[in-house]
Amino acid sequence: MTATAGRPGPPLSVLLCDDNAMLLEVLSEVVQAQPDLEVVGTACNGEQALRLAYRRQPDLVVLDVRFPGGGPSVAREIAQCSPGSRIVAFSAYDDKGSIEQMKNAGVFEYVLKGASNRELFAALRRAAATR
Amino acid sequence: MTQESTRKQAAPMSEAAFTLLVQGVLDYGIFMLDPQGHIISWNAGAERIKGYRAEDIVGQHFSVFYPPEDQASGKPQWELETAVAEGRLEDEGWRVRKDGSRFWANVVITALWDEKGVLRGFGKVTRDMSERRAAQHALSERRRLFDHLVQAQETERRRIAWDVHDDSIQAMVAVAMRLELLADRVPESYTAELHRLDASVREAIDRLRSLTFRLHPPGIDRHGLIEGLASHLADVVGSSWGMAYTFEHQLDREPSPETAITIFRIAQEALLNVHKHARGSRVDVRVASADGGIVTRVVDDGTGEPMPQDGARDHFGVIEMRERAETAGGWWSMHSRPGTGTTVEFWLPNPRPVPATTPEPAKDAP
Ligand SMILES: Nc1ncnc2c1ncn2[C@@H]1O[C@H](COP(=O)(O)OP(=O)(O)OP(=O)(O)O)[C@@H](O)[C@H]1O
Ligand SMILES: [Mg+2]
Repeated sequence: MTATAGRPGPPLSVLLCDDNAMLLEVLSEVVQAQPDLEVVGTACNGEQALRLAYRRQPDLVVLDVRFPGGGPSVAREIAQCSPGSRIVAFSAYDDKGSIEQMKNAGVFEYVLKGASNRELFAALRRAAATR
Repeated sequence: MTQESTRKQAAPMSEAAFTLLVQGVLDYGIFMLDPQGHIISWNAGAERIKGYRAEDIVGQHFSVFYPPEDQASGKPQWELETAVAEGRLEDEGWRVRKDGSRFWANVVITALWDEKGVLRGFGKVTRDMSERRAAQHALSERRRLFDHLVQAQETERRRIAWDVHDDSIQAMVAVAMRLELLADRVPESYTAELHRLDASVREAIDRLRSLTFRLHPPGIDRHGLIEGLASHLADVVGSSWGMAYTFEHQLDREPSPETAITIFRIAQEALLNVHKHARGSRVDVRVASADGGIVTRVVDDGTGEPMPQDGARDHFGVIEMRERAETAGGWWSMHSRPGTGTTVEFWLPNPRPVPATTPEPAKDAP
């Protein structure tokens, strides 16, 4: 059994955004398997992401950095249409420039693709804790 | 020394006439060498071109005018031998001024014999062709081809880097995530094996990521040379390799994109060599405008292992760095002394964009 953060109450709702279909599917499965996290939507482009963010007002958004519509600008727009959401960048790039751009766009955590699932969950829970 | 007495006889004209002639000429460096190659006379043109005053240079061996790589390959001696064998030698190539900067020289060396057929020395005439060469190079087809090749190569690398990112890395990330998920679900006896698999996939992801970094460093084409180098130094040299560095820059003009990429690529390989071979503790990088171009220096404090002359065929870094610099119309050199580290230094012309490719309305049109 996977450890939860010992957090009572309803699971955190999560919106997943990545343009790679295979990755989106796995991400969805992996996050859903956590008792304290619940996937409420998946998006593979900026337009879908904004629509779902607006409709679902998720607690958390996992956002690819090289994302159709531009990672940083999608992050800004999500923050506008769903101000309660905490965004976690999930990126294949670990250069300073990409990290800075996303942090400037208001993301709370920056997780490198290739980090362990545990690290991703930990980042999601940290981000949620700031709400 | 018997040469003392023979020098005067070697002169084809009286000392006074020779001095007058030689002193009058500013456009040419005209001087004489003894049979061993030591400088025995000097003129104003030579001083202007090479930066040495007569009292600094007379008595020294003329190989000081040659870049370290030519000295190492024995080019000065070879040139004298050729002049002896054929009477005369003409060469165009890089020569070094007193201050270490380089100029593109046309050199004629003539062997001087006395009436008994004894070699008395050499006459040497040097002309500074840098400006003409730069002007020709900037306009040449070769330059345009070079720019095109640089761009084509970068485009290709960028494409490969993106493919690796968007396909290979993502697919492997998906595999790794699934393996970790699976490890939580299978009977305990399989868990360890799955974790091992997962770990090796994640290591492969890291290696692929650094490959894409080398293929296409983010930043260089978005923010220019200085930013690109600065973030390469911070991300790769500082963060990944944990090496101390300094970065100094002094450019009076932003280089063309092709020049910027070429400098970046050469510096990148020089830095990689420092990491792989130097076993030093720090590296200092300096980029500065000089002689109508840009001179870059990468200095480490490592072993200073001299360049291996073993002719091993599987080292391409040095060959590629030199090739890039020379194709761009510049020069490249690596010198090291055991115990004091290695210096890679190169200069590239920084031509202004060819007017034809940037049509602009005449500025002073009414
Ligand atoms: N900064 C340095 N300090 C000490 N030795 C160096 C340094 N740079 C290069 N060398 C020596 O010069 C050799 C040639 O370098 P070069 O870059 O051509 O090849 P390489 O790095 O071994 O292989 P490649 O660059 O093709 O991957 C190196 O193998 C090393 O022995
Ligand atoms: Mg190398």
